[in-house]
Amino acid sequence: MSEEKTYNKPLPDFRPETKPYWEGTKNHAMVLPRSKETGKFFFYPRAMSPGDDMSEDIEWVKASGKGKVWTYAIHHMGPSKAYKGDPPYVVALIELEEGVKMMSNVIDVDVNDVHVGMEVEVVYDDVTDEVTLPKFKPAQ
Amino acid sequence: MASNIPGTQEAREVLKKHKIVIAGVGETEQGKIPDRSSFHFLSQASKLAIEDAGIKKTDVDGLVTAFSLVEHTFMHCTTFADYFGMKPKFFSSVAVGGATAVWMAAEAAMAIASGQAEVVLCVRGDNTLSGISSSGMLALIREMCHGEFEFPYGLTTPGGYALAAQRYLHDFGATREQLAAVAVTMRKHAALKENAMNKDPLTIEEVMSSRVIAEPLTKYDCSIISDGGAAFIVTTEEKAKELGIENDLAYLLGMGQGYSHQYMTTLENLDQIYNAINLSGQKAFQTAGLGVDDVDLAYLYDCFTITVLLELEGLGFVPKGEGGSFALEGRMEIGKDLPVNTHGGLLSQAHLGAMHHVVEATLQLRGDAGPRQVGDANVALVHGNGGIVSAHSTILLGKEPLS
Repeated sequence: MSEEKTYNKPLPDFRPETKPYWEGTKNHAMVLPRSKETGKFFFYPRAMSPGDDMSEDIEWVKASGKGKVWTYAIHHMGPSKAYKGDPPYVVALIELEEGVKMMSNVIDVDVNDVHVGMEVEVVYDDVTDEVTLPKFKPAQ
Repeated sequence: MASNIPGTQEAREVLKKHKIVIAGVGETEQGKIPDRSSFHFLSQASKLAIEDAGIKKTDVDGLVTAFSLVEHTFMHCTTFADYFGMKPKFFSSVAVGGATAVWMAAEAAMAIASGQAEVVLCVRGDNTLSGISSSGMLALIREMCHGEFEFPYGLTTPGGYALAAQRYLHDFGATREQLAAVAVTMRKHAALKENAMNKDPLTIEEVMSSRVIAEPLTKYDCSIISDGGAAFIVTTEEKAKELGIENDLAYLLGMGQGYSHQYMTTLENLDQIYNAINLSGQKAFQTAGLGVDDVDLAYLYDCFTITVLLELEGLGFVPKGEGGSFALEGRMEIGKDLPVNTHGGLLSQAHLGAMHHVVEATLQLRGDAGPRQVGDANVALVHGNGGIVSAHSTILLGKEPLS
């Protein structure tokens, strides 16, 4: 595709501690942070485990990329002009197999078919040369 | 939950000793008022509250403000002190979203109980409707969600509440009709409030067929945006007498906070929200030595219809999942089981956080609520909610002091 990409929607405001996550998505892989001390996953990524361990000893573990829709909101209005033409689109909280929740879009689906408990799997949207957003589609 | 929350008995002794009261209130006109700045509204509301109390500006020695969505300053209280021309001995800006107004009253009470001030002006005002830019509105949404892990997915503020609403409908088999009923009751009450922005009668069908914003929420499930100001004056019974304040006083009987999550991503389940609301309420109830059955009037943060149902249930007025039928049966109306937001709330009167909720609770307890007056109203609960049902604050106000 030779089509020039212009992406006007908000991009993630990166923090140093989230680098492995975004490097993962750029390579079309999902890695999630886990406290080595407690073995517990947490999300969103932080420099310190939000558990009582307060550990900075964090490992990044490859995730299955599978989960279920915990809840969703069908947006008929976007937050800005950059979303013109997008609605209706689905913003959902996905409960990942690893037990944490992630906000994302459910795409490649009739929005009216989305439901709580729907099984979904990750797809990677290379929105710019630098940024890849993980999104979800109905599981095959 | 929560039998004997630590600290509530101590809080009770403090409130009993100081007899903290709301002694004056003020509200400007509300609506689309394009020719007034944020600080103009703050000034007008302050003047109205000072005049309502019948005191002088120089009698006020403490100031609690909030924040502005239009005038950005990280020292909001002192910026306003400069504009208004006062030199408070105590000043603080409370910034916990929709939980702010309720906590302004608590902040003032704590300042008074610790000797920092005797007469505290609590004021909020903003030209949100006329003054906010589209980038300002986007910045507001940005505040509500995680900039790195949520914002890039196009979440809006109504969308955040729609996430909670959709899960609520799923967990309890509740209906959109039940959500709509909340908006209908608020509109009925707004019709009786002189400065309410939206007074035209509204039906459940109209709510459900209005423009869809973020399913399952439609336009009328969402609160309005408005320009305006409101203020209240917190002092002690003793100081009010000394100043010759003639208003009936609304006594602070209890207060509390409860926190669930900041970002929807970290919300485990709806119980997490209920528990935060409940803790906030129970701290206030246990301090006051009261329970839900003692509450004559409830002022519940109503940024969206779903919020009211979660609060009704979390505070314990009805069991979980039964807020919807309570709303649909009209039991929140004036004259019914539990009048809620007798002024029309954020859904129909105006949106200034819960400032108007506090003002209206005070007016009702004073018997000054005109056509909206609820007979025999002795205890009012006011609950604020900030973020996406994240941060909660509750106060209980009464006609009589703690004894």
